[in-house]
Amino acid sequence: MSDLQSDNFLRPRNGPLAAARLNNTVTRITVIVITALTLMYILMPVYWMLKSSFQSANDIRAMPPQWLPKELSLQAYRDLGELIPIGRYIYNSIFVSLVAAVLSTAIGSSAAYVLSRFKFPGMSIILVMILMTQIIPPITRAFPIYFTIQSANLLNTYLGLIVAYVGFSLPFSVLLLRGYFQNNCPPDLEEAAMVDGCSHFGAFLRVILPVSMPGLAAVTIFTFLNAWNDFLWASLLLNQGAMKTIQVGIGDFAGEGGGVQYINIFMAACVVATIPALIMFLFVQRWLVSGLTSGSVK
Amino acid sequence: MERKKLIFCYLMVAPSLLFTVVLGILPMLASLGISFLEYDLLRVRDFGTPFVGVDNYITVLTDARFIQSVWNTLLITGLVVAIVIALGLLLAQVMDAEYRGRALIRVLICAPWFVPPVVAAAIWSWMLSTSRSPLNAALMDAGIIDSNIRFLSDTETIWGISIPLLSVTAVRIWNGLPFVVIFILAGLQSIPKSLYEAGSIDGASVWNQFRFITLPLLKPILGVLLLLLLITGIGHFEINYIMTGGGPQGQTNVMAVYAYQQAFNSFRFDYAAAASGVIFVITGIICFFYIRAQLKDGDDA
Repeated sequence: MSDLQSDNFLRPRNGPLAAARLNNTVTRITVIVITALTLMYILMPVYWMLKSSFQSANDIRAMPPQWLPKELSLQAYRDLGELIPIGRYIYNSIFVSLVAAVLSTAIGSSAAYVLSRFKFPGMSIILVMILMTQIIPPITRAFPIYFTIQSANLLNTYLGLIVAYVGFSLPFSVLLLRGYFQNNCPPDLEEAAMVDGCSHFGAFLRVILPVSMPGLAAVTIFTFLNAWNDFLWASLLLNQGAMKTIQVGIGDFAGEGGGVQYINIFMAACVVATIPALIMFLFVQRWLVSGLTSGSVK
Repeated sequence: MERKKLIFCYLMVAPSLLFTVVLGILPMLASLGISFLEYDLLRVRDFGTPFVGVDNYITVLTDARFIQSVWNTLLITGLVVAIVIALGLLLAQVMDAEYRGRALIRVLICAPWFVPPVVAAAIWSWMLSTSRSPLNAALMDAGIIDSNIRFLSDTETIWGISIPLLSVTAVRIWNGLPFVVIFILAGLQSIPKSLYEAGSIDGASVWNQFRFITLPLLKPILGVLLLLLLITGIGHFEINYIMTGGGPQGQTNVMAVYAYQQAFNSFRFDYAAAASGVIFVITGIICFFYIRAQLKDGDDA
């Protein structure tokens, strides 16, 4: 700041250092301003949702809008259950997402292990297929998958949606865990176990998996989060009455006009749908940075 | 390799391979196959699915609505990728710097990540509605505008870019930012701090340190990120579909929504497959470079 206050602050006086300091002040202010504006942009809809869920429908509709609510109430949360079977939807979502996440991590970790340790014929083809499945946009195979699930008689069952979610998250789980095993589990770990008479599978089960718990947990939670947030596949594969996931339940409620008529209750439902995702996110966020480095960036 | 070990390897990858083939590779191939057949769900029972060569591609590529969706896809993806990387570079530095309250800032910047897309689309649709929008009300109050902006329904275009397209792009940026910030942050943390100390002793300003130390060292990561964002951007479906369904008059329609609508609204699975084929080819080319980069990394490790 001292540079800004002096008379001839535009002229670098003490050579490059002073010039750098002046530049730094300008850069810092620019960074702070842009960050503040971006944070407003990021948080405004979240704030608006939270605020509206504690207001009455009339207050929400008031013009000019109340940026700061005049009155707060929990009424919308009390009425929520009467309009939307929210408890049931949450149960459906948790059940489907949890089973899919655990299955996907279990299946994915065994593949990730051998793909990180051994070289065997067909290995690169398998890796390329997994990478392609991960990366080619899922919309390009939406209706063949719909037909596959339909012909297996799994439309509108929990199992159908679970199978689809495992299919989508598996490439991600395999690739991330492969990176994790490569970086965090030195091969002498299981070599020691095998000298003690363990089989390959025994070493994987008793040595590798236990020491990889943080990675496994993070991948499971990540998969859970993706399944919890999904709308597209849930609306295609499981859209019948009581078994809907919360995202489809909320989408349908809005589609039937409830989002405008019962705006406060709708916002309360949105908050409720966000909280589990927030909790899961808080669990993984510490791990996110290192996980991305070891998994996909490298 | 000894036989027992080989069998062990194949047994371990078998379940993953099964899922990848049944829900990944085969549906992709099926879609490509259908794109060369006539597959009109309403006529299938009487006429079957005759082979029609590239007719579906010709139909789709001469459909003005599809061409429009291709341009929209490229435009939205280009805008989103450019802005998200620029903002991501800045915010990642903010996340990396040390100050009080950093943990909170980190969670706040990531907010769009844990707000489910349906919820985000619902709230943004409200914020961007014409008469109920608090944004319009605030702008009117401040005297900046004198009639409500029709964020999602204006059909006028300025230089071929419509307001609804810009609105949807803004929501897409909002939605995609956290992933990019975290991705770049991961890269930042692999740069040794000593480089910056050396830089500041030599009198390099923060900006010059960014330009001459950070940016060159982030280049490989930014390359991978760019490919990833292009692929996911070109195939993006959810937000466009939920917010506008491609409207008004196709102004926010993208290829993925076009393909979805052909399949599940018009039951023309052949046209949907051809549109998917176009997405497949475009993303496939980018994917090739991505996979090559990934496999090269794997060999080094």
